[in-house]
Amino acid sequence: MSDAAKKTAAAPGLGTTLASIVNGCFGDYLSQRDNGLAIDMAFYQHNRPLSLTPKALREAFPAPTNKLCVLVHGLCCHEGAWDYPENPARSYGSALQDDLGYTPFFLRYNTGLPIPYNGTALDALLEKLLAAYPLPVEELVLIGHSMGGLVLRGACHFGAERGAAWVGKVKRVFYIGTPHEGAALERVGHLVNSMLHAVPHPITALLGDVANKRSQGIKDLRHGTVLDGAAGIAAVPWLAGAQHYMIAGTVTDDPEHLAAQLFGDGLVQPPQAGENVRLFPGVVHMQLAHNEAIYHQIRTWCASA
Amino acid sequence: MEPDTLRQIRGAKDLFEDAIEAAAVTIGEVQKKITRQPYRLLARIEPIAAPVRAIEEVHLRITDGVYFSIRLGNRLVGIVAGFALDRFEGRSREK
Repeated sequence: MSDAAKKTAAAPGLGTTLASIVNGCFGDYLSQRDNGLAIDMAFYQHNRPLSLTPKALREAFPAPTNKLCVLVHGLCCHEGAWDYPENPARSYGSALQDDLGYTPFFLRYNTGLPIPYNGTALDALLEKLLAAYPLPVEELVLIGHSMGGLVLRGACHFGAERGAAWVGKVKRVFYIGTPHEGAALERVGHLVNSMLHAVPHPITALLGDVANKRSQGIKDLRHGTVLDGAAGIAAVPWLAGAQHYMIAGTVTDDPEHLAAQLFGDGLVQPPQAGENVRLFPGVVHMQLAHNEAIYHQIRTWCASA
Repeated sequence: MEPDTLRQIRGAKDLFEDAIEAAAVTIGEVQKKITRQPYRLLARIEPIAAPVRAIEEVHLRITDGVYFSIRLGNRLVGIVAGFALDRFEGRSREK
């Protein structure tokens, strides 16, 4: 069986998808209760967690390269979010491997946990990965979709703060549909929740209580929280020594359309225009994780000096 | 069946049980709050205040009983399902 066929055969199924959705919605509760549905952060290959030992990595990657790319999915997703629907064997990771020789690592994690917690865990996991990797790593490219971008930003911050070796290898970080300024949908959710609690009626209070059960991971998206405590996103400097790229989409082909202005890519507003910012009109939030035009842009940036 | 799959099924069972328990407690409390509202109004009418309070007490006890039954049934189903999963896991390990 070819690698592509093997990947298709072992793609995450409906059970994994449902577990990922439940983790996104109530992941912090699952973790507190030690529930079997709670996902432990790990790199996954063929729907199985990769053991971070030199032997296991050599078996998983018979032809490793010294350039790695790490892909981090968004809320309620798993690594299958990167697969192209029309060709599940292709993803940004596999394409970068074929075209530019990056060895891809796909992260799966409990997206309902606080973003700072996942950032800290990813920092530790990347250190473990580089320690166990069979070759000396020369370059690390990080790609995050939606919440994944915030987790990456957190991991870089925590890694840099403690002087982790892996941080020095990071050359580029791609934030795809990442709500650095917070997600409008969660802000609306928070407002509705407050209104439900403000109405002095048991039924609305009950609805407010139910809505408030959403995970801390979702709540962190309101302000794009990367750090614990009151410090906001502004307190997190961009990782020095790495290039940072932002990719965004809009719900309509015309980015000036009112719907695009109001809803962005459906969940996240595009960032302000800039040198390393690209807007892909008509590409909605989930499609940002598997779009050929976006891949070409990523490849162009990765291939540039 | 793989241990991971069994762990997930057990997790789904626990989550379902927790959700029913939480829903029964919360909805029960809300129903009692709503139930008390008309009784509170009726109890202001002095001649019927005493029977109204008695009927309210019976009503609330019945409500408590219904939700307690739901929670008890949920707990029992959870125990039986857990036992069945233990047996299934044991057999899978033997194989």
